[in-house]
Amino acid sequence: MRAAGATGKRDRPDILAGGLMVGIGALGLWAGRSLAFGTPAMMGPGFLPGVMCGLLILIGGFVLLKGIAKPAEGLGLLNMKPLAILVVAIAGFAFASETLGFVVATVWLLVIGSLADQESRWKEIAISTALLTVAGALVFIEGLGVQMPIWPF
Amino acid sequence: MQFLDLLMLGFSEAFTPTNLLFCFIGALLGTLIGVLPGIGPTATVAILLPITFFLPPLAALIMLSGIFYGAQYGGSTTAILVNLPGEASAVVTAIDGYQMARKGRAGAALAVAALGSFFAGTVATIALAVAGPTLSSFALSFGPAEYVALCIFGLLAATILAHGSVIKAIGMVCLGLLLGMVGIDVNSGSTRLTFGSTELYDGIEFVVIAVGLFGVAEIAVNLESKEQRGILQSTIGRLWPTKQEFKESWAAVLRGTGVGTILGVLPGGGATLSAFSAYSVEKKISRTPEKFGHGAIAGVAGPEAANNAGAQSSFIPLLTLGIPSNSIMAMMLGAMTIHGITPGPGVIQNQPELFWGLVASMWLGNAMLLVINLPLIGLWVRLLKVPYRLMYPAILMFCCIGVYSVSNRGFDVALVILFGVLGYVLRKAKCEPGPLLLGFVLGPLLETNLRRALLLSQGDPLVFVERPISGILLAVTAVMLLMLVLPSIRKSRKVAFEESEN
Repeated sequence: MRAAGATGKRDRPDILAGGLMVGIGALGLWAGRSLAFGTPAMMGPGFLPGVMCGLLILIGGFVLLKGIAKPAEGLGLLNMKPLAILVVAIAGFAFASETLGFVVATVWLLVIGSLADQESRWKEIAISTALLTVAGALVFIEGLGVQMPIWPF
Repeated sequence: MQFLDLLMLGFSEAFTPTNLLFCFIGALLGTLIGVLPGIGPTATVAILLPITFFLPPLAALIMLSGIFYGAQYGGSTTAILVNLPGEASAVVTAIDGYQMARKGRAGAALAVAALGSFFAGTVATIALAVAGPTLSSFALSFGPAEYVALCIFGLLAATILAHGSVIKAIGMVCLGLLLGMVGIDVNSGSTRLTFGSTELYDGIEFVVIAVGLFGVAEIAVNLESKEQRGILQSTIGRLWPTKQEFKESWAAVLRGTGVGTILGVLPGGGATLSAFSAYSVEKKISRTPEKFGHGAIAGVAGPEAANNAGAQSSFIPLLTLGIPSNSIMAMMLGAMTIHGITPGPGVIQNQPELFWGLVASMWLGNAMLLVINLPLIGLWVRLLKVPYRLMYPAILMFCCIGVYSVSNRGFDVALVILFGVLGYVLRKAKCEPGPLLLGFVLGPLLETNLRRALLLSQGDPLVFVERPISGILLAVTAVMLLMLVLPSIRKSRKVAFEESEN
């Protein structure tokens, strides 16, 4: 999958980078809108966050505008399926870890996570999930004493 | 001789069974991940960071640093035998190393790489032992203004020497600094940028950012395309170099060691930059530059010595000034903070066993690596056949449990998703995540000292210029930035990095 639009102008990585920085800077300014700014001698809690957000917006804006004028460059290979699968796998782990315990969380993480590679095979997934779950429970929960229930009950 | 006493102290620390064991584990793990393409030392250190919480501080540091310099040894194996760099710093080794392998001289290339690395590691360790106490006693006199200048110098110099666009890297530093401000402000007690989440009151865990940006994002990028497979040159040949090969490589090892030791100290320097610079030095100096690219042994010896020396000497600014020079050093700083150690000039004075134990362990680790790599080379070659689809689920599990274990809550794991996605987007936007991490770890130091300095000077910013050390540091930073605006230097920087990419 190639990103479209490799002709003319617009450096897409730069536009993405610039947009991201401006966006985060603006978000930071909004989130810190109620913090006292203070003076350089007596800085309030909002002083440096405000300065940093301002800098981010400035730098991001510069990169963004320059990116629009630069010769075209695509984003390169863009295949977000593995990322999306990883997100689902990790989210399940995060949700299940405290309540449903290590075994449920890890099996979910490993089985779903393994699907992110198109070359994976069910038999391999089953074996590696079983091995890793047992090893993980022994090493982390029993051995190192990480505080996570092993079973949901 | 106080120096010898301290060195003895270091060796007695490093020789305790626990520390010896973790030195070996670190060296072994480093070799392993160095050999395997698809996972590098940055990701590994990030993933293992939470686990070091369960170790004594010195053992933790010994293991993490072993991973870093061990990866420099392992990376060369893959580069030479498969023509795929197992490690970014081994990219140049692949050029001539693989050609040697095709001529049946893989054994000699591997031996020269390992022996050169060992020599370089020894020299850089001595440099660390000598420079450490000197630099740190100098830095003990630093006040808040000096620390502000040092942070700014370190952060900006790191962006200039790093790959890619400087302006984007500066943006990443700002983003890192901003992320470091999340949580309760120590001075006023008010919560900042927490979006109403009580879980964020203590700030974002360093481990969460490191694992997200370097662990999860890396897996997502690796899985985007089918696994690359090089052609394995399985005949290794005689390990010992011939007399002629030895003659051609010893000077290159010396030069590589020098280049690596110096470049490793600079912010943004470290193993990769050292290796690339050493390769171009060798090519320029050589009487037969046409041989480069066709199996010149100097093209293996120089960069391999340099990357190991650079890996080792990049510890100098961290251990003496408390300023990390690259993302791995930022993680070492994170590891020290987890154990309640404040990195900086005080460490050598107050906890000499920590500094000298680490120094001594580095030399021991290098000696171990020689054994791990040369006689056992056949084992590592076989490991190369393990496909990525079997490896990454284990990495994923380590990431998640590790992050969870920091404060025993699922919230941190969920936060990893955010930084994983951010890391992925940053890679697509051609932004280096390294400067972000540096900004994040230096943020609190910078803010505390900036506030203190301006409070003392009653808001007068001239305090940073009037004090000599901070004035000089800021002047050097300004000159570096100005030089970047000059078109001729911009051009040659671009050429240098493009050369290194091809």
